[in-house]
Amino acid sequence: MLAGCTGTGDGDAGNGNGKAGTPSEAGDGSTETSTAGTTNTAGGTAGSGETTGTAGDSPSGTLTVATYSSFTGEGTAGNWLKSAFEETYPGTTVEFVTPDNGVNRYIQRRSQGAPIDADLYVGLNTDELVRADRELEEPLFRSVANRLDRADTVKDALRIDPEGRAIPYDTGYISLVYSEDEVDDPNSFDALLEPAYENALIAENAQQSDPGRAFLFWTIIAKGADGYLDYWQGLVDNGVQILADWEPAYQAYLDGEAPMVVSYSTDQVFYHGEDVDMSRHRIGFLNDQGYANPEAMALFEGTEQAALARRFVDFALTEEAQAEIAVRNVQFPAVEGVEPGAEFSKYALEPPEPVTMTYDELSGSVETWVEQWARQIAGG
Amino acid sequence: MGAVTRARDGSAGDRTAAGVELAGVGVSFDGVRALEDLSIAVAAGEFFTLVGPSGCGKTTALRTVAGFETPDAGRVRIGDTDVTGTPPEQRGVGIVFQHYALFEHMTARENVAYGLRFADPPGGVDRADRVDELLALVDMAGLGERDPAALSGGQKQRIALARALAPGPDVLLLDEPLSALDARLRERLRVRVGEIQRALGITTIYVTHDQAEALAISDRVAVMCDGRIEQVDTPERVYREPASRFVAEFVGDNNVFEARVTATEPPTASVAGVDAALPLPRGTSVGAGEPVTLCVRPEAIRFEGGETTLDATVASAEFLGDAYRLHCDWHGHTLLAKTDARRTPGETVQLGVDAADVRVL
Amino acid sequence: MRAAERLGERTERLGGWAGRCGGRVERLALPLGVALTVAALTLVFYYPVGSVLIEAVVRGGRLTATPLLDVLANPFYTGVAHHLFADLWGVPAGTIEWVRAGFRPVEFGLFGFTTYQALLSTLASVALGLPGAYLLARYEFRGRRLVRSLTILPFVLPSIMVAVGFLAMFGRNGTLNDLLGTVGFGPVDALFTLEIVVLAHAFYNAPLVVRLVAAAWEGVDARRVETARALGASPARAVRDVVLPRVLPALLTAALLAFVFTFMSFPIVLALGGLRLATVEVWLFARVRDLELAEAATLGAIETALSVALIYLYLRYEAHQADAGTGGTALARRPLLAGWRTLRDPLRMGLLAYAALALVVFVGPLSSLLVESVTGPGGKLTAAYYEFLFAQQSATAVGTTKPLPAIVNSLVFGVGTLLLAVPMGIVVSVVATRGGPGSRAAETVLSASLAVSGIVVGLGLLRTLVFGTRILGRRIVLTGAVVIVLAHAVAAYPFVSRNLTPALGRLDPRFTDAARSLGASPLRALIDVELPLVAPAVLAGAAFAFAISIGEFDSTVLLAEGVSSYTMPVALERYIGNRSLGPSLGPATAMGTVLLLVTAVSFVAIDRLGGRWEP
Repeated sequence: MLAGCTGTGDGDAGNGNGKAGTPSEAGDGSTETSTAGTTNTAGGTAGSGETTGTAGDSPSGTLTVATYSSFTGEGTAGNWLKSAFEETYPGTTVEFVTPDNGVNRYIQRRSQGAPIDADLYVGLNTDELVRADRELEEPLFRSVANRLDRADTVKDALRIDPEGRAIPYDTGYISLVYSEDEVDDPNSFDALLEPAYENALIAENAQQSDPGRAFLFWTIIAKGADGYLDYWQGLVDNGVQILADWEPAYQAYLDGEAPMVVSYSTDQVFYHGEDVDMSRHRIGFLNDQGYANPEAMALFEGTEQAALARRFVDFALTEEAQAEIAVRNVQFPAVEGVEPGAEFSKYALEPPEPVTMTYDELSGSVETWVEQWARQIAGG
Repeated sequence: MGAVTRARDGSAGDRTAAGVELAGVGVSFDGVRALEDLSIAVAAGEFFTLVGPSGCGKTTALRTVAGFETPDAGRVRIGDTDVTGTPPEQRGVGIVFQHYALFEHMTARENVAYGLRFADPPGGVDRADRVDELLALVDMAGLGERDPAALSGGQKQRIALARALAPGPDVLLLDEPLSALDARLRERLRVRVGEIQRALGITTIYVTHDQAEALAISDRVAVMCDGRIEQVDTPERVYREPASRFVAEFVGDNNVFEARVTATEPPTASVAGVDAALPLPRGTSVGAGEPVTLCVRPEAIRFEGGETTLDATVASAEFLGDAYRLHCDWHGHTLLAKTDARRTPGETVQLGVDAADVRVL
Repeated sequence: MRAAERLGERTERLGGWAGRCGGRVERLALPLGVALTVAALTLVFYYPVGSVLIEAVVRGGRLTATPLLDVLANPFYTGVAHHLFADLWGVPAGTIEWVRAGFRPVEFGLFGFTTYQALLSTLASVALGLPGAYLLARYEFRGRRLVRSLTILPFVLPSIMVAVGFLAMFGRNGTLNDLLGTVGFGPVDALFTLEIVVLAHAFYNAPLVVRLVAAAWEGVDARRVETARALGASPARAVRDVVLPRVLPALLTAALLAFVFTFMSFPIVLALGGLRLATVEVWLFARVRDLELAEAATLGAIETALSVALIYLYLRYEAHQADAGTGGTALARRPLLAGWRTLRDPLRMGLLAYAALALVVFVGPLSSLLVESVTGPGGKLTAAYYEFLFAQQSATAVGTTKPLPAIVNSLVFGVGTLLLAVPMGIVVSVVATRGGPGSRAAETVLSASLAVSGIVVGLGLLRTLVFGTRILGRRIVLTGAVVIVLAHAVAAYPFVSRNLTPALGRLDPRFTDAARSLGASPLRALIDVELPLVAPAVLAGAAFAFAISIGEFDSTVLLAEGVSSYTMPVALERYIGNRSLGPSLGPATAMGTVLLLVTAVSFVAIDRLGGRWEP
């Protein structure tokens, strides 16, 4: 039954106006009858029928992609993807929507029974996926990994979703950026507690900032779930500043408020050249690690453009697209063996040991971790 | 006076001066009774004054006629129309306040013209002509372009009057219009207001706390106290024949005594602590021993002759220009008297009183 | 006969009759205005906010106090006060023990700290605003009108731009430390302290004090001051007895607004103070982000209850303050500079010192922002950020955020808000001044949009208008320009009514009575007479309405349909995330500068246009 339903959706991909109101309502209704558990198997059984769908040469229609605003616009990865995809598949149109509260918008829509007005989400984090699953009875995204041509080319370390819904397309590594004239590379988490690093670090609020949250998870990996709060108390005692988000934190760092900031290991890609003082853009990996924060794409459950969306994901995983995304988004490619170019490779530093919290590790714990952390900082 | 009378000479179709009637009107503010069963009938074209001390309800009565206060009992009629529930703007009244309430963002001229935005000028004249007419009427021709801030108090009040009259109201309401002006100006303007009222024949209700003003200007006067009417009559009768002790004391100078009737033929009465008896008017029908309130106007007290003489001592004297007013001590009571001749304090005087000048209240 | 002497025969007033029929329509205008205002409020405020706050008291379709008690009985939120909710009967014993133990210092939790910083911020706003109001109301100097027009500028600046400006002004390598360094002081480490947060709050809210108080001060009747002086009052005494009673309500209004705003502040707190100075609103935002809506709603409900109570108490106080006085003559302004005499006049010297302080606190961060917009990472002069704006403008890519449409949208929404918020504010003020016994409660309810956290409003709008409401089986979605203007107007009109209510309350009712007796309906009297007489207050309110709209971000970004109806703050926010010049706030500072310039020009225009209307 579900396979048939999906098949209809694929067939409909031909007329690009399936998204106007009531038909999508009906679509919602029918797909919502499937449960999370059966999605995987259903996807598997539909595999054979799907091959014909992919083989059908000229896909057409409009694909609505929800993403964050800096992914779109002049010169961005999003814009390149759109043009390249539309060029490769004439008759298709990619449209971006950029809800300001990101994937929360769609979790809330789904929980309130409001229609999801997009086919694909681009820029999903592991903990966002965890949140979506925690909040919703019915799945927000559908499993696609085994119906994609290139899903298996993604680096193992980055495969964040055991259910194959979120497909990573790039990753950043959280690291320190420091000014070597003022401090030495701390090299370890423990060093940050030493007097040499008093009032030296600016971090971001894990309640609302992606790098802030990633850095918190990294300290949990390093110090354990029962040790990270003590470690943070040490950081606080040593004068760490926790600002709202990456932008004010980095601005404060640039203005010389502190010699270190929690940022990305791609920092030098932006800051290099003749007139730039590279001594202020040193990358510090703690414990030889960097926290990988992969960004993923996922198909909304209930999309009527599933085939087109899968084609778009596969397209984003091609070698050419991977290199372009990496350079334009200033993130590392998610696919094994892609070389984004000499300049990128020179300035974008990869940690010796990438670490990340998996879906299963975050699931059930993440909210407590963040809450306890925030209470300790604010209450102290 | 019962029903409202309408002016007799209006030709068909013309609006004529309309009377005003308050019948059994009661007004309360937050449970406090401001007017109690108030009934007044003002004849068409009459200059009618409400006078009383502050807080007596006279302004409330005026505002009830204007429609700013809603009575919780009784009816208000203007002409033949019951206007009890009618909003102020539909009552056809013009009002002038003590502090002018000129619209400061408009010129004098614009102020006068304001009411003509809502009504055609009477007689079908042009609006601009009507404004000129009114400015001339209040002797302000040529000053129309001034801002209110550039006008003197008297000029402001003239403009306020012109503004109230411009739309041709049926009734003119004047709420202490002269109280903010200095004495001489007040008197001059008072005369002018009277002239204008008579020229227009417009029914006018005038509110003042100044009894002299009330007497000077009105066809009839209503003396009010504590939300009630004490007396309604012509100024002369209110002055000469006050209906109550309150009226006697409030209107003009007066000597008021609580006394007891000592004899009936001829009737006399004595005041506590004084041996001498005061004569009472003949025909006073009171029994001996009964308490009476009686009053004698200062100007009725003579310094020569008189049916009864009272021995008193001059306590102080005020020169009023045309006369002296003496405060005399009469066995512990103060007697006011008027005289042409100067008297010095401490001087003993014999004051004469005629029975006809004594009024029993 | 008398009638024959009459000046002009009174004809049957046909015009009057026409007026009467029209009057019936006009008489409906006020109730209609109230109804429309309430409808607009319900649509874009009560309904959305109610849909969120109800989560605080309803769980699974049943009324419950659990979420409320969970918060109130949690020492993290309420500190020592949590005993009141956790174990009320133990409080006396606990208090005795505390006294015996020698008054150990007590914690007041997140709510306690939030209140504390809001109190400090309010005091700072008043301290910084009051001399400014005095200066603008009582002294004449070159550029006074311009300064007055521009006082409102901080109000429209997005918090991240304030953070940038403050960083550049008060940071370790900021202008202030440079200045202090040249005279041998410093450096001062001001950032990430409570002091800098309080200063930033004062930066936002002192203009409120300046505007409201200056307007009231200008309304002081010179004759009353002269009367007091003639009766033997010293100048200081005259100020206390005559000026203060007139100025105090405005000052308290401004202080109240400042308190409510800084109580619910959070971007500034986080950007300049960090998480260690977190306020309730920081927590509320985090809860919303984690979709823990019951707890978020509970925090929002408590914030709202506190603010509404405060507003109600204030309005009751204000009602007792209203004195009926005529407009009278405004006090004459003195020249600020009086030649050499200036140096011997302590008051003038004090004001000049204040001007220097204001230069540091207000002009410093704003001009720092301007400097940042032309300074590259290496500290060199650059035009790159403005070139970026031009590049954005000429870009062809779909989804590009262009500066020009942002400016146009901001201005259109601003004017639309002004046109909507001013009548709404007038309606509320009229209800408040004429409404009778329940009018204070009514005004409180109608002013509640001041008292609700912006995050809660945003969340509510999202869940109702943006997601749509199912009515008769159809999902009704309300977004787009009209709804944005409506939302802005709802946020803005309390500023109109707060300016207007005291002014209308002081207006001598006889002005209205005179107009009514001349044939004006209540509506006409309002339009022809009352409003022109309180024009300065209307104007001040209108300026605030415009400023609120220009600076508004939260609901704009939610209600913007598609990508086209973005405003200047939204564009600025998007440029923050734009990496085409590398990760830099440069493009945002350039947009911030544009925002400042456009707003400045608008305000000068509003004041000039409105000035003509002033009596």
